[in-house]
Amino acid sequence: MAAIRNQIRELRAKREMTQQDLADRVGVTRQTVIAMEQDKYSPSLETAFKVAIALGVTLEQCFQYDARGKR
Amino acid sequence: MSNIFDIEDEMMTSISYREKTLYASLVVELIVYGPYFFLHRQNSVDKVAGMIVGIIVLQTILQLIIAALTRNRITDERDRLIELRGYRAGYLTLASLMVMALGTLWFYADVGNHRLEGPMVGLHFLNVFFGMLIISDITKTATQLVAYRRAL
Repeated sequence: MAAIRNQIRELRAKREMTQQDLADRVGVTRQTVIAMEQDKYSPSLETAFKVAIALGVTLEQCFQYDARGKR
Repeated sequence: MSNIFDIEDEMMTSISYREKTLYASLVVELIVYGPYFFLHRQNSVDKVAGMIVGIIVLQTILQLIIAALTRNRITDERDRLIELRGYRAGYLTLASLMVMALGTLWFYADVGNHRLEGPMVGLHFLNVFFGMLIISDITKTATQLVAYRRAL
């Protein structure tokens, strides 16, 4: 299990936002959004904030840290 | 347009601009370098020069085609991180090969008590060092392609 988990997929679906929409708002590629949703990539703090802002939630609502997870 | 619930498998069918250019680089490297090392028994300085020109021309053509066919050409922090990993792997490969080559040279010349001379010595060294550069370059590209498919 990854150390940093996220709810991007669920939050995005609630807002009826596509992966490309979110990628455009955050300024990353769609492949990066896919990697984040699959917990295959932990974004930088700046990108994490941008994702949370784009989804209209706080950072903690979007990303969670699991100390027992694999880094 | 992509679906809101884009399925995870799309990762395999949707590749970024940067990833496409890496696949192109790998193909060009294998096409150009392969025959030099595996088909020609007698290489020369001219062939090395021809190979360098060939790789530049082929890379330019392929990159132009990919750029023309790709709508979204942005690169982001993940691309840069993967690029750094590739360069690290390439450098480690080059350094390891260099140490091995120097060790072999020392063993051959000192322990083996052979003299390095003759007109082919220069070409031999050119091939060895060029081969090391090629192997490290292919390692760099392959590492980046693997990183795109695995977790970071």
